[in-house]
Amino acid sequence: MSFDPVANLQLLVSGLAIGSIYALVALGFVLIYNAVGVVNFAQGDFVMFPSYVAISFLLPSIAVFGTIVHWQLPLLLVYAVVLVLMIGFGLLFTRVAYYPLRDRGWMPVVIATIGVSIFLRNLAQLVWGSQPQVMPSPFPVQTIALGPLQVRPQDLLIIGVTALLIVFQYFLFERTMLGKQMRATAQDRDAARLIGIRVGRIVTITFVYSVLLGTISGLLVAPIFTVTKEMGALIALKAFAASIVGGFGSIPGAIIGGLAIGVIETFGGFYISPAYVDAIAFVILIVVLVVRPQGLFGERVGEKA
Amino acid sequence: MNAANERAARETGFLQVRGLLKRFGGITAVNGLDMTVRGGDIHGLIGPNGSGKTTTLNIISGLYRADGGSISFDGSELVRRPAHAIAQLGVGRTFQNIRLFAGLSVLENVMIGRHVRTHVGFVQALFPAGATAREERETRAYARDLLRFVGLEHVAGSVARSLPYGDQRRVEIARALASEPRLLLLDEPAAGMNPTETDTLVELLRRIRDRGTTLLLIEHDMNLVMTVCERITVLNFGQHIAEGTAAEVARNPDVITAYLGGAIDAA
Amino acid sequence: MSLRRWFGFGALLIVLLCLPLVVHSDYVLNVADIAGIYAIAVLGLGILLGFAGQLSLAQAAFFGIGAYASGYLTVHWGWPVLPSMAVATVFSGLIGLCLGWPCLRLSGHYLALATIGFGIITQLVLINWTSVTNGSDGMTGIPAPQIGPLTLSTYGQYYYLVLASLAVCTYVAWRIKSTRPGRALQAIRENELAASATGIDPTHYKIVAFVLAGAYAGLAGALLAHSIKFLSPDSYSFDQSVIFLVMLIVGGSGSIGGAILGAVLLTFLPEVLRPLKSSYIMVYGAAVIAMVIFMPRGLAGLFDAATHPRRRRETQPLATPSHPVEAKSA
Repeated sequence: MSFDPVANLQLLVSGLAIGSIYALVALGFVLIYNAVGVVNFAQGDFVMFPSYVAISFLLPSIAVFGTIVHWQLPLLLVYAVVLVLMIGFGLLFTRVAYYPLRDRGWMPVVIATIGVSIFLRNLAQLVWGSQPQVMPSPFPVQTIALGPLQVRPQDLLIIGVTALLIVFQYFLFERTMLGKQMRATAQDRDAARLIGIRVGRIVTITFVYSVLLGTISGLLVAPIFTVTKEMGALIALKAFAASIVGGFGSIPGAIIGGLAIGVIETFGGFYISPAYVDAIAFVILIVVLVVRPQGLFGERVGEKA
Repeated sequence: MNAANERAARETGFLQVRGLLKRFGGITAVNGLDMTVRGGDIHGLIGPNGSGKTTTLNIISGLYRADGGSISFDGSELVRRPAHAIAQLGVGRTFQNIRLFAGLSVLENVMIGRHVRTHVGFVQALFPAGATAREERETRAYARDLLRFVGLEHVAGSVARSLPYGDQRRVEIARALASEPRLLLLDEPAAGMNPTETDTLVELLRRIRDRGTTLLLIEHDMNLVMTVCERITVLNFGQHIAEGTAAEVARNPDVITAYLGGAIDAA
Repeated sequence: MSLRRWFGFGALLIVLLCLPLVVHSDYVLNVADIAGIYAIAVLGLGILLGFAGQLSLAQAAFFGIGAYASGYLTVHWGWPVLPSMAVATVFSGLIGLCLGWPCLRLSGHYLALATIGFGIITQLVLINWTSVTNGSDGMTGIPAPQIGPLTLSTYGQYYYLVLASLAVCTYVAWRIKSTRPGRALQAIRENELAASATGIDPTHYKIVAFVLAGAYAGLAGALLAHSIKFLSPDSYSFDQSVIFLVMLIVGGSGSIGGAILGAVLLTFLPEVLRPLKSSYIMVYGAAVIAMVIFMPRGLAGLFDAATHPRRRRETQPLATPSHPVEAKSA
């Protein structure tokens, strides 16, 4: 197979786009994990659910609870509404799934998040049925020309928004008091409490922020995926894998892990096997877990006896 | 001198640490440590915080892997053996932060301690009669005896995590004793104890030694150390700065300096 | 065990043995068969997670491996069914070893994710290895078992095969739990470091637990294959592993009776709630959350508390490990 730079660069763009989605979702995992030591198995459904809500207001007509409705609203308004709604949802989630179980170790919380995931998926099915939906693209054209390359504008949007979010988050964490409080809480909750940080509030903010990351991912990825109740699951699992590859608990690790898996998966799917594309992320994961479980940027944790 | 101590008097290099080395990233926690523990002794391991005591214990028991040096235990080399193999050789231990099987009963904790002296595996377990039943009975009885020995028989059925701190320590000791160890490593067994509890502990340690077990203990309670230890090794910066009897060590100027000028009173 | 408990078991046994004679509805017997099959798979998870504390979300993968292995041997190689099931069970156990070995140094979320990855890869293989599994079109024509002249063709007859298998599996799990190896597994769950300091070799015990979990699920899968006589790879997904996990948690992780109870209850419950259509699964999800919050020891824990009010425990033992996640280096 001859090396075709144009095709490969196009693959790279695609790979970076889906990798950005993985990175954003992985960030959501890592932030919650750092704050409360728990993996949120519902993270993928925070990608799926807002997508459904958004398309309810973007499509000219859609079946809700079996009846056809026409709720079409302007794009930016819909995005705003969805974001606000998901903030509310994030608050609810924290209060229901995390708060009552916060002293009981990690497994009960993990199971509670699994419960939330099951609930959300089937709520989605109840409300919108099982027909796959397509979110209309915010762009009028399918591809645009970037030099010699033909790329999807949505891919460019995804990469762009993700880059902006990363920069935003950098400033948030490094330059604002809130961000520093979040980092302090993530490092040592008891110490944070002792110096006067309102840990409960910070944890809630962290959860809501993670939910928002998932929401933004959903709004970005839905136009290039079909929207089904399952769409979040595989994305989330791969994002989880990416965060481990990058080093669980590491924010740069989550980002780089996500991008890496997105790119490798896209190239692998094209050159090796389209059927086993979904396996690629997990093969990488298992190899990393066996060879270097702390991932790229994770710390080697030894136990204190 | 009882029989165990007589035997010990003949065995000088019962536990022989030579040139032990352990690094954590940029920090050298154990830096060429030499230590000799005689069989039948209660041997103390003391030193300022961060001197490498717990790390040394962890290396001896196999929880950490040494970066260099050797540990000879009654003829066997311990370095590079996994923890469970070292336990099988007859080394038992307790932990600085108590590590009980918190959700299991006190009796079960001690029964599990008997693991290396029992044999039933998955296949044999399928046959309820005969050797399996006998081993179950014997394990249970032995564990009860040990609980009696440490004075906790009355809480045998309680969940381990429900016990007060001092009792949990004793359960840990009973669990370690269940394997009939020839060497028992104790990491700050008196931590958090009041003077009465400490006295009880001292008596217990002596009884354990009299039954034939050599003890190596890390302690910060100087009274306890000076009272009960035949020999002491003093650590600082991962190396030994003194080794000898309590009296010898207390007089050693390096030891006094290490403890920042404070004189150590022999009990 | 007390005389009252033996009596209770005896009564239960009689009820179970007589069930197909009393109940003539094919539908109910079918659900009963499936409940028993799920119970075997959940029991296997109970050994791995409940006893040894290894959070595996790959149980559905072994369920599928056992099903397809037995299906393949009977359909493509013409083997008789019962030996086929036996081989499928052993084969699944061996694959369990292949999963367990790389997972030895992992715990908590890392372990869960490795098992999830394994499950997804397995499902992809089942879907794409069409020469063996026939892919998404499914494997058809799987024969019913024959014992001598008798073919187990009705749900009622099959019920006895499932019951016998479940009895054997329960016996094995009970024997393990009551003896030294069971305590070793539980020690690993409670505190692996302390367990190794006590002379327990975590590698040996964890590997055996993975093998048993794989074998149990494989047996269950094989039993299902020859009951419904058709296999589709869609059934062996991560979601199915989650269902097994939920059954174990609801029943009471760490308890043998709990595992079976959870499986049976959560097999019959959706059928009972079927009139509610899709909303029942939402109730399911909400129920899981409520369960974990209010009944951490599951139904078995409730039962235990009810029948032993005077047992001296300030807090009940939790069969889920609550230590934080660490990445293990060698």
